Amino acid sequence: MSRRPAHAERRRPPLRFGDDPLLWASWLYYEEGLTQGEIADTMGTSRPTINAYLADARARGIVRIAIATDRLRSLTVARAIEDHFGLDDCYVIPAEGGPRTLIDRLGAAGAQVAAALLRPGDVVAITWGRTMLALAGAMAPARIPDLIVVQATGGTTATIPYTPEACTTRLADQLGARVVPISAPAILSSAAAREMMLSEPVIAEQMAHLARVNRVLFGVSSLRPSSTLHVSGFLDPEAMRRGDYAAAVGSLAGRFIDAAGDPVSGPLDDRTVGMSLEQLRNVRTRVLVAGGPDKVAPILAALRGGYAGALVTDTDTAEAVLRAAGIDPDNLAFGSRHGAGQGRNGAPVEALPVRHKVKKFLNASCDAVNEALEGALMAYPRHLAPINGNLRALARPGGSRQGKVGLVIGGGAGHEPCFLGFVGEGLADAVAIGNIFASPPPDRILTCTKAADQGAGVLYIYGNYTGDVMNFDMAAELAAAEGIETRTVVTTDDIASAGPEARQSRRGTAGNVFVFKIAGAACARMLPLAECERLARKANGACLTVGVALEPCSVPDTRRPAFQLKPDAMEFGVGVHGEPGVRRDPMRDADEIVDEICDRLFAELSPEARRVAVLVNSLGGTPGLELFVLRRRLGQRLAARGIAVEMSLVGHYCTSLDMVGASITLMVLDDQLAELLDDPCDGFAWRHQPR
Amino acid sequence: MASIRDEGAAGILLDVAAEIVAHRAYLSEIDGLIGDGDHGVNMAKGFGRAAEQIKPEDRLSSAMRTLSGVLLAEIGGSMGPLYGMMFAAMADSLERAEGLDADGFGQMLRAGLEAIEEIGQAKVGDKTLLDAFAPALSAYDAALAQGKDFTTALNVLAQEAIAGRDRTVDMVARIGRAARLGERSRGVPDAGATSCALILTTLSRSVARRL
Repeated sequence: MSRRPAHAERRRPPLRFGDDPLLWASWLYYEEGLTQGEIADTMGTSRPTINAYLADARARGIVRIAIATDRLRSLTVARAIEDHFGLDDCYVIPAEGGPRTLIDRLGAAGAQVAAALLRPGDVVAITWGRTMLALAGAMAPARIPDLIVVQATGGTTATIPYTPEACTTRLADQLGARVVPISAPAILSSAAAREMMLSEPVIAEQMAHLARVNRVLFGVSSLRPSSTLHVSGFLDPEAMRRGDYAAAVGSLAGRFIDAAGDPVSGPLDDRTVGMSLEQLRNVRTRVLVAGGPDKVAPILAALRGGYAGALVTDTDTAEAVLRAAGIDPDNLAFGSRHGAGQGRNGAPVEALPVRHKVKKFLNASCDAVNEALEGALMAYPRHLAPINGNLRALARPGGSRQGKVGLVIGGGAGHEPCFLGFVGEGLADAVAIGNIFASPPPDRILTCTKAADQGAGVLYIYGNYTGDVMNFDMAAELAAAEGIETRTVVTTDDIASAGPEARQSRRGTAGNVFVFKIAGAACARMLPLAECERLARKANGACLTVGVALEPCSVPDTRRPAFQLKPDAMEFGVGVHGEPGVRRDPMRDADEIVDEICDRLFAELSPEARRVAVLVNSLGGTPGLELFVLRRRLGQRLAARGIAVEMSLVGHYCTSLDMVGASITLMVLDDQLAELLDDPCDGFAWRHQPR
Repeated sequence: MASIRDEGAAGILLDVAAEIVAHRAYLSEIDGLIGDGDHGVNMAKGFGRAAEQIKPEDRLSSAMRTLSGVLLAEIGGSMGPLYGMMFAAMADSLERAEGLDADGFGQMLRAGLEAIEEIGQAKVGDKTLLDAFAPALSAYDAALAQGKDFTTALNVLAQEAIAGRDRTVDMVARIGRAARLGERSRGVPDAGATSCALILTTLSRSVARRL
């Protein structure tokens, strides 16, 4: 380059840069497009210096890097739509953009979104229309194994290029997928004709694929005269004239919805062949791609009706949808999601800490609990079965003996294998499961109660948390109204959570496991309700737990750590819900941590205590190796005190999602507790045969 | 006398639901400081699902009953029963009153507050939603007793709810999970008081707009 001097020597900047090397370097880099090495040569200095100049220039505001206003606008509007309608995703492209038509650009954006979503083995349905055909055509060629593309509806007139068949085959061709067509017209001349069609084995088999669809790409049609719906011959002019669909504002897969997104029924209902609105809404991933002035009302209706999980549209349409929903798109607070700045109701303004997302094995975070339960049911069919099809209310398959006291346990999800791992012979009869770290609601507990009741009453055991107490108490009232007697024992083993004088206000943690075992054994021995309750109380009174966290847990919804811990800090006295502990301590060696825990535990042991069961429990993220390191020191301390360990559990028993940490529980034994503890039990998390 | 009718007033509750959903992330972040960080998610789930089943032309009381049902049947936790019983009691009160004038609105809120006091064991000062609710309602009643009109009293309600919420920053939690943190719970607002203030300010604004 001619500008480059033969010898590198420090040079003065040209006068127009006002003796400012930062400005000069910035100019050469951002305006003239030189590399940092070339600038170093030009300015007669080193490359690292240029690098530092450029960084300084940004820090001092000489260079401002801006996201193009239209792009920023798209992001802001997309976020507002996601928030308002609770969508998983919203992708908004600029309304203006080069020579391609809006439909082509929406199709390309839709294809990009779809490409990121499709997985091997998926069954994807696509509707028809201009945008859908553009999407199918814009799909980058790929080969996704075992992909099936299903036509979402029957066929339409062939006078248009964007028929259901065309959209389906084009998409399948691009992706190397198998096509399942629907070999029937979308609208039949009569209900009887439809019945006949659907009873044809070929068509019945094609239609059966619609129930297996797990992704759907769909557009919306307005009801204007030029709409796809009209030109495709989907509309029955007679029905329209009669005003049968007067309330409809749009159509999805040939079905009509009103402004609130509710189905509008009419004479076409039993003449239409294709995916129903109910089927559409139950598809797991639902991508709506639509834009343009006539699509505003139908998109709003589709969003209100919950038909879309993700929306691809353009800025003009997105803003109009927001406006129609009563939100001023010109007044969106950017970044308000993080709680910074003034909230709409004058919410406090402190900026909350920036936190990083934690990697997790998730599909949609909102499905995590149900998917985990489905997996557990597949893994342990001998131990667990849904009660009346309810995934969150599980019982032992086959029920239990007449006259046995029923044991119902439960609590929030996120503690796996608690609580469901402790259902089985010699343990609980049924378990009610809530959302993550949130108690199950009363109805569900009542369902469990009825399933567990064998005429001798039902015992509830759960950890002492405000929410669980409220929900189980309400369930107990409902059960009483149905003539089922219940008793309740709340576990209070966590000694860090309150002093010994307030034992009843302590929270229940890993000690749960021992209390479930003792109560389960008492119930299995066919003892009466009052005696089962008494023994459960006795077991709870004999349990003492202390937990320590080295790293916080993170819930699937936010994937952010629940609290922050410095590299050299630990939380002493944590519970099992991701809340901070009672004290923050400097990190220490394992033995010292066990010693501190033992000091706390031993302080509450009676001097006569000579026999214990121990549980060294992972809070989720701590591996077996470290648990055994803790168990070693615990054994040394117990031996030194002359206490015999009669049963030892080490592993994941009552966790707090991915919290790195452990808890130690001691249950002080007498003959009676020791005997009950040694009774057989068979839950998937605890199987025991008497010695 | 200024009042609104129960019929066709479900939009008021839809406003409340929209406000809760819009503050989902904010409520969770507040909760994450001393709780488990799921308050916003659970609240948005409950209010959002209920809103899907409510039409603006419904009765306000039936909308409240729908919301109560969803909160009680699907949400669990402590907020499910607390807000669930609150809205059930408010719906009962509203149905008896057949319309909302200034006194009726106060009675409706009183019924909601009493339902919460009955099911939870918290008292004012324990750093819970009561610390936003109770003082706001007292201030509302006092404003009416001084002869202020409905709209002015509604403004007082909203202001005092926010002031109550802000006072929870300096409180030590005495009930719920945060109670186990003792002094460490000081310095951040209570998540329940924050959501309660949102509910009350939106109720007040939405009712005032319809007067």
